[in-house]
Amino acid sequence: MTEGGRRGGDAPSLAPQAWRRLSPALWLAIALVLIALGLAVVVGPVAAGQATLNGLVGAGYFALGAVGLTLVYGVLRLVNFAHGDMLTVGMYIAIAIMALGISFWPAAVLAMILTALIAMLLDRIMWEPMRRAQTSTLQLFLVATGLALVLRYSVQFFAGSQVRTVGLDTISSVDLGPWHLGRLQLVVMLVGLVTIVLAGIALRYTRLGKEMRAVADNIALAEVTGIDTRRTIRVTWLVSGAMAALAGILYAASIGSINPNFGFTILLSLFAAAVLGGIGNAYGALAGGIVIGLSQEWATLFFNPRWKPAIGFAILILTLLVMPRGIFGRKKARS
Amino acid sequence: MIRGILASTALAAGLAIASVSASADTVNLTIGKLLEVTGPLSETGPSQDKAVKLAVEYANEQAKKAGVAIQAKDVGADVQGDPQAAVSAARSLVDQGASCLIGPAITPESIAIANGVTIQKRVTIWPVGTSMRLRTIKDEGTIFRTVPPDSLQALALVNAAIDKLGTANGKLASVIYRNEPYGEGLAKDFSAAWTAKGGKVQGPTVFDPAQATFDSEAGQAVANNPDAYIIIDYPDTYAKLGAALVRTGKFDPTKALVADALAFSTVPSNIPPQAIEGMRGTRGGTPTGTDAYKIFDALWQKAGGVEHFSLDANSFDSATLCFLAAAAAKSSSPAAVTDHVRAVTTKGAPKFYLTTLADALKAVDSGQKIDYIGVAGAFEFADNDDPTVSLFDIFEYQKGKLVVLKQIDATK
Repeated sequence: MTEGGRRGGDAPSLAPQAWRRLSPALWLAIALVLIALGLAVVVGPVAAGQATLNGLVGAGYFALGAVGLTLVYGVLRLVNFAHGDMLTVGMYIAIAIMALGISFWPAAVLAMILTALIAMLLDRIMWEPMRRAQTSTLQLFLVATGLALVLRYSVQFFAGSQVRTVGLDTISSVDLGPWHLGRLQLVVMLVGLVTIVLAGIALRYTRLGKEMRAVADNIALAEVTGIDTRRTIRVTWLVSGAMAALAGILYAASIGSINPNFGFTILLSLFAAAVLGGIGNAYGALAGGIVIGLSQEWATLFFNPRWKPAIGFAILILTLLVMPRGIFGRKKARS
Repeated sequence: MIRGILASTALAAGLAIASVSASADTVNLTIGKLLEVTGPLSETGPSQDKAVKLAVEYANEQAKKAGVAIQAKDVGADVQGDPQAAVSAARSLVDQGASCLIGPAITPESIAIANGVTIQKRVTIWPVGTSMRLRTIKDEGTIFRTVPPDSLQALALVNAAIDKLGTANGKLASVIYRNEPYGEGLAKDFSAAWTAKGGKVQGPTVFDPAQATFDSEAGQAVANNPDAYIIIDYPDTYAKLGAALVRTGKFDPTKALVADALAFSTVPSNIPPQAIEGMRGTRGGTPTGTDAYKIFDALWQKAGGVEHFSLDANSFDSATLCFLAAAAAKSSSPAAVTDHVRAVTTKGAPKFYLTTLADALKAVDSGQKIDYIGVAGAFEFADNDDPTVSLFDIFEYQKGKLVVLKQIDATK
């Protein structure tokens, strides 16, 4: 039996493994807290605290966006380059619904449902036939890239290329002592955190979650054990689509200004968060997002902000040198 | 009967040959438009498109009136704010026969087009981008600008800041710019001119426009409560940066000065009013009291559609100069057009204006050199093919609208 297969077994046998699975999170948390304290000593608590809050905002964007990406890769081994553009599709659907006079949150929920259905439809008409034809990884990569362009230009065709706004209040902030945080940014952080924790719990404890993990470990074995793999895969796409829409909507609402390229511009950071956290793991996306977000903003304490993307990605490379499978990565399953 | 048919056929053939000969004498000019339809400066695309269209229509009318055998049409392509896409766009326009290319607005796009397409084919490009980085390439005399360059805009910004603060001496200016040649060059020139007048500079705070958050950048910009903010940005990112500046709780837009890329008749809805109301800025100025401007504005209003936007008069002038150069060259060959630009902007030659464009066309058709004064003013290109004019608007945003406070000569 595979290591992954054992993880899907009975709860009591999970206890020591659960500890081992938690330990990277603990180590990561300890390391980040120590760095934050060190920064507070070096540059002062106000500057360090503000940079940390700013980093957590970025982390919220990256983590929420990366969950759907990591889920699809985990279950289907598909590097979905169209995921960033699914964020865009979700956002533009929400804007279209809001144009009908529906307020933001109901529009967001409807957009999540519609984007999820689009993701599932794409699986039915595109990805499923390719799976049946056992299309190669390179071909899938090219198809995903092509799909990204089709989605982006479809949005442009229907909605135009001009910059748009959701119209929510992006300037109100919450004061936390000497620190401040945008009100919408706080909402994004909290919704992101709750969503990712719920996704993690669902993956671990629900029957559907266990089926998804079983398919991720070995699709043939999952079929033999009676799991309806087609249904599981479609649910994966539904969840991925809904999460992409949620990430796109919250990100766009929070930054206040978007165009049809906005999902693509954030895609690299989403991949970075997913890979750094250990691709295929919802909590990994969170951890990866936090590391990328914090490292970029902490870098601005010492360097001009123009260098922050380079520093963030340099830390990604260094982390992967130490932990090649990412923070929550696991050894490759062998049947 | 047969003789009759032969005679008719001969007559028809003769007429056809005469017609071909007449049309062969007419210069059929194609003017390409490199438009920012998508991308970070997409606000500029519609007005640039309209400006060139109007110039072509008006020049065609005047050529007909003058009896000069030249006819132009315009073709356009989207440069997408991306140098690679800009090269493809330029190539497609040149393939469609464009002899001049008006635009683009972003300097790295212009550089890529010049290196990849136009220098080799001797096609003139007329960028709206103002960065001095453009002049670091050997363009073989193919890049003309009707917009004043950033070396002059930096001086205009200094003038505007002094106008606001009373003096530069001892005043701290926090410089914030988008990480692009436009921002880098302008910030550098501003900082040098500001410190030369006794001012102090904080930063510059440079930001990557693709970042997810701008809060750290905003925090650095507002540190030490500066006397002025110099913000060099594009509209799409300023919507995000501006919101982040307001969230610091320390930003006062009335202390801020912006450059021309943030000049728009009406503030876009995605920029929070708290980030822009009362903010001042500079942009290449167009003398609005002239008869030329009245004609230009009348054409603009009659056509309907988009409102005036920054540098629309300059693009109108660029297309008109291309038309005049082709008329002077009696050819639509890109090299011939390029070689005749200076013949229609010769300092000391008889002056012609938009009001006398028909006469200008007659003059160049007869081989005379002229000094064409555009809607935006005289050009009289310097050795590097940038204009020597330095008129700038100092404007302020009041109740969401751009209001021109005054026009200045940046060199004085």
